[in-house]
Amino acid sequence: MLYIRATGSISPQKTFGHGPFLTDPVDYAGNRLTCIEPDYKELIDGKLIRRMSRIIKMGVAAAMECLKEAGVTVPDAIITGTAYGCLQDTETFLSRIVENKEEMLTPTAFIQSTHNTVGAQIALLLQCHSYNNTFVHRGFSFESALLDAMTLLLDNPATQVLIGGVDEITNTSHAILSRLGLYRQEPLSNRELFTSPARGTIAGEGAAFFLLADQPSPTDYARLEGITTFYHPHTITATEEAISSFLTAHSITAGDIDLIITGRNGDEKNDAGYRDLAASVFKGIPTTHYKDLCGEYPTSTAFALWLAANILKTGYLPAVLSRQEPAPGPLSGQSFQAPRRILIYNNYLNRHHSLLLVSAC
Amino acid sequence: MDKLMADLKIQIVDQLNLQDIKPEEIGDDQPLFVEGLGLDSIDALELIVLLQQNYKIKISNAEDGPKVFRSVRTMAEYITAHQPQP
Repeated sequence: MLYIRATGSISPQKTFGHGPFLTDPVDYAGNRLTCIEPDYKELIDGKLIRRMSRIIKMGVAAAMECLKEAGVTVPDAIITGTAYGCLQDTETFLSRIVENKEEMLTPTAFIQSTHNTVGAQIALLLQCHSYNNTFVHRGFSFESALLDAMTLLLDNPATQVLIGGVDEITNTSHAILSRLGLYRQEPLSNRELFTSPARGTIAGEGAAFFLLADQPSPTDYARLEGITTFYHPHTITATEEAISSFLTAHSITAGDIDLIITGRNGDEKNDAGYRDLAASVFKGIPTTHYKDLCGEYPTSTAFALWLAANILKTGYLPAVLSRQEPAPGPLSGQSFQAPRRILIYNNYLNRHHSLLLVSAC
Repeated sequence: MDKLMADLKIQIVDQLNLQDIKPEEIGDDQPLFVEGLGLDSIDALELIVLLQQNYKIKISNAEDGPKVFRSVRTMAEYITAHQPQP
């Protein structure tokens, strides 16, 4: 059992700074949600910030926010998950290779382009010489980082691990992924994501960090009971079996879950599986979705975990989470008790499926 | 020399993304590294590339680096002495 002691999040919503919990949701038009970023100069040393691209600043600032809330100056480990890595610096470096005909390349963009730069920059800033690892496994990147944190904390009791999921979208990656059909061709409001099903979803990005510990404290957000991943189940039955096995492994049934947060993304093909599950293993359980708030990206489960942790800590379900469907089911028109146990179920491109079980302290 | 030093200051601020420093704030003889502008080894590599790209000058002897990059004036003197003639 792990405890979420503190969080820090930069997302397309007003999540940074531990202000009101999604009371003022931000709406977007188009097929791309971009992060609302703080003034980094107030948060990061000026000498370091000048070399940081946007994703590095987002990751470092979210991590600092998390550590500040926890009152921790140097964690015992830093683990990050990212699928795309530092895209902006990668694009800069590759462009200069072409422009300069593979000569006279400047070092900064190359140094900063590697996927582990966010974790490395956090360590540099904190002068943290402890365990530092980055997982790059597409839609399982954040989940892999979580699994590593869990094993690390099991092997090293009484330690505290800083873990985060970060991904950015750039103009180039957005154009490429649009050409591949990942995003909606027609502009739409993120509020309409679930009410106007079509091919494609909306692009997103974000950085969410958590301080995990194996010992409880009075100010914890939530307990992380379990996590599992399964790759490309070929039938809905296989998905149902994987979910049932996960619940059985944690000695609970679907009826013990107070709220399900799913990774529906508005792509009608992708969402078919979620609809099937809502009629089978998840039938009758209050359900909500999160990708109209942060968009689709490979480490979006980090945002979902931030969402679940805050729901469990505050006992409050933001109104924005009830507005999503034409017939939201048990969330609509009923007084909703503060949930004690939340299951996050997400799949990325219907290949990378993951389950995170989180409960109130 | 004054024009060259002014150009160098603009190029240094741009290449190293010195966000809070204006080119005119850099002194001609101000040390660039450590106690001066506070540049580091990665910046040194950036400055080497800057000389190659903008002035077609290669620093072939690594031991020359600390002398060449001591200040904007030493950089300008090195460029003047080594710039290829058209």
